Amino acid sequence: MTQAITLRMITRQAGGGEIVRTKRLEWDDASIGRAPESDIFLPDLSVDMEHALLKLTGQSRVTIESVSGRPFLVDGKPSTHVELEALRGHTVTFGDYDLLVGQGGEDDIAITVMRREEQHHASVSLFSLKASVFGRRKMAWTLGLAILALCLVLPLAGRAWLQHTHIHPDQQWSTGPLSKAHAFLDKDCQACHAKAFVAVRDETCLSCHRASSDPADVARIDAKVTAKGSPFLPLLVSDHADHAKLAQAMPLPPTIRGQIAGVFQAALNHPTDRCASCHREHTTAPPDPNVPKTADVVRAGKPALIVVTDCTGCHSRLKMRLPSTGLIDTPDWDRHPDFRPLVTVGFDGPQPRLERLALASHPLEANGLTFSHRIHMNPVGGVARQGQALGAGRGYGAALTCQSCHRPDGGGFKPIEMERDCGACHSLAFAQVGGNLQTLRHHDMRNIVGVLRGSLPPPIPPSVDAGVLRRAMAPGGLCVDCHTVRPSAGPLGGEISPVHLADRMLPWGDFNHGVAAHAGVGKGAAACADCHKADTSDRSQDLLIEGVATCKACHGKTEHDTAAFAGAQCSECHSFHQPGQAPATGQDRLFTALGLPPGVKPRGLPTF
Amino acid sequence: MAVARGQTQRRKSSTHESFLRHGGFLFAKLSVALCVACIAAYFLQDAHPRPSGGTAVGYVLGILGAVLIVWLALLGVRKRAVSDGHYSLKAWVSAHVYLGLSLIVIATLHTGFQFGWNVHTLAYGLMLLVIASGALGVWAYATLPKTLSDNRGETTRKQMLAQIHALDEQIHEAAQPLQRAEADIVRLSLEETDIGGGFWRRLLGNYGDCANAHALASLGPALRVATGKEAEALRKASDLMQRKADALSLARRQMHITALLEAWLFVHVPATFALLAALSVHIVSVFLYW
Repeated sequence: MTQAITLRMITRQAGGGEIVRTKRLEWDDASIGRAPESDIFLPDLSVDMEHALLKLTGQSRVTIESVSGRPFLVDGKPSTHVELEALRGHTVTFGDYDLLVGQGGEDDIAITVMRREEQHHASVSLFSLKASVFGRRKMAWTLGLAILALCLVLPLAGRAWLQHTHIHPDQQWSTGPLSKAHAFLDKDCQACHAKAFVAVRDETCLSCHRASSDPADVARIDAKVTAKGSPFLPLLVSDHADHAKLAQAMPLPPTIRGQIAGVFQAALNHPTDRCASCHREHTTAPPDPNVPKTADVVRAGKPALIVVTDCTGCHSRLKMRLPSTGLIDTPDWDRHPDFRPLVTVGFDGPQPRLERLALASHPLEANGLTFSHRIHMNPVGGVARQGQALGAGRGYGAALTCQSCHRPDGGGFKPIEMERDCGACHSLAFAQVGGNLQTLRHHDMRNIVGVLRGSLPPPIPPSVDAGVLRRAMAPGGLCVDCHTVRPSAGPLGGEISPVHLADRMLPWGDFNHGVAAHAGVGKGAAACADCHKADTSDRSQDLLIEGVATCKACHGKTEHDTAAFAGAQCSECHSFHQPGQAPATGQDRLFTALGLPPGVKPRGLPTF
Repeated sequence: MAVARGQTQRRKSSTHESFLRHGGFLFAKLSVALCVACIAAYFLQDAHPRPSGGTAVGYVLGILGAVLIVWLALLGVRKRAVSDGHYSLKAWVSAHVYLGLSLIVIATLHTGFQFGWNVHTLAYGLMLLVIASGALGVWAYATLPKTLSDNRGETTRKQMLAQIHALDEQIHEAAQPLQRAEADIVRLSLEETDIGGGFWRRLLGNYGDCANAHALASLGPALRVATGKEAEALRKASDLMQRKADALSLARRQMHITALLEAWLFVHVPATFALLAALSVHIVSVFLYW
């Protein structure tokens, strides 16, 4: 029997099962194609009408060759001509049809034709959007977890591990820019937020801002702040009062809402008596339509100041809350108590004994001097004549003015120095040697006594006997012109009282003599004599300051009242953090900074 | 029996009253009242240096907003729970919509109109995104179901797909006599036609590069020159492909409307999760760096 081709056509039924039709081709070749007359008929559009020819070429061997030139797949690989060993079994694919080439019975080549069932019937879920994109749930979890990772875990980890790098992932937590004063700390959140879940504490603020009388402490703070990158040195603040007293003195908020808020804040460990309660960072002032938008709108010059309790809030009915206080209430400017200057009432040894006395009690000052302002300022007296005689070359030339002795120094005056301010007239010469006057050294009693007694060698040996000293201290003597001499048990029968010239009689308030309105410059401005009745004072014991009523002539007035009208805010004369000084403004600091030598950093942010 | 009647009544009422009108706009009124109260509190407060989330009113608004956000997000849980009674799912959805809209006022006042490139504004932005997508959803649910129904007429979605499949088989059968070049054109329609397509294609309803349309256009020249049996087969295939184009158009319009109806959820749900995460970070970070 000759070799032939056994063809098995398998058709799958829709309900399952297969129909197998077998045909034996007695000749040694078979055409493969879509044409119905093909020996192996494959009704598939990807098969050509006459696609290929299969030939028997020997025992169990066949060749398949493309007739149309279009390739077919042999065991998955494209080919246009192939010779196959039927015994090995091969799959030749045309379109959707697989031809399984194998060894049949009676040496026949068996070709099994099957159609691959690859058709996917679309379901109605195809209509839903779910079918075509990344699942909603997966997207939701991915986004949520990504935000937690990037915005919470990373900054938390960064706090611990990235502190000393340039990466600061916790900056995304910042609720707003820091003020210019603290801008150098922008990337160092933990400089202020030192402890997690604990509001910024005063210790943290004071670690850079605490004033100290010890220069080493100040130098340490300056170095620390400079190392953190601040372009200027920090402002240093003193305690307004003991913190416990301040807390006791602070009244409850005036409104029920404020009181409830206070209870909650205390309960949440967010008390209102912290530095940060008043000095708020990460916030900007509300936009003002009248102010052009500049960088300052984004970054304020200094932290926003929130008045939790104002000056008059605490300084009203203070005694009720703080029985130990000696302060008089100041509920407002109109009821500002009259001055109680710090007066030298005597001396304990060389130390002055100072007391605050009401101005209304007309206190006298025991400053140890004998001095008449009236005589010195009389424009037609002997002093005036002496001034003329001294001439302009020595800084006089006419009757004395206030500035002849009180030399301006910033907002105040240089301390009186006898040799400089009085010495032109009040000579301390006690002898003449070889045409040169021998002069005593003022302020140095040990020297004066020693020299006059001859027990201390002066530059040139004196030729004066010790009796001069007694005469100098006797009524009408050299010292007694200006000094109070009190009796003593010593050989001289008396001694010169210690002298204490008050630099400031009102140490808790600031008064700037340099301000034009205080220096008699400008319309309505106060001249020296408006506040100091020196030209009628014959006694050095006179305090020569006026009461607060004099201040009120300008402060608290309007432009209709006086050309020199001025504000009546507490801060005109008092500062919370620098008791005894008026608060310095950024402009004050700017002018100070302009006068600094190159390389020296200003203290505080200089700005307009 | 009484229960059955009750259910019937409830079904009837739910058929005739949308969630927007539920309870005579009860939740709309509640939301307006809430907004008015918040606005009054905001403007009556004496906040220094300016209103923010850190003032007493700011904290109250913040707590209110956070509680609302969490409660609104719980709709996703609630809608999966079958329950009855007064707190029906419709009531929840109604409250969800109106209280969700009130969040715009509450959260904006909480910010004190201070925004920046930080996690706090991220949370606020995500909240607005969730609300905006939700508003789109409300619009979609109010208008699109009727369009969807009008489009499909009496044909079900299953029938649409079955029709396309049947046409494919007929085209395949009809094209059998065609030579290779024409057969390849027909194969384009059979093998390359994508019924649905991707997210944007469905959303925009843009099927300009449809393989069936291309094939149909390409058959034109062949149709003009073909003769005899080939011409007959071509004409038949062409007719069938035209019918397929009509069927595709109907199904695709259905998909486009369905996409519009569902697309907002692809923003609303992921943005809600992102918002919950950002809100958590906002709260933790604010108190961590108090």
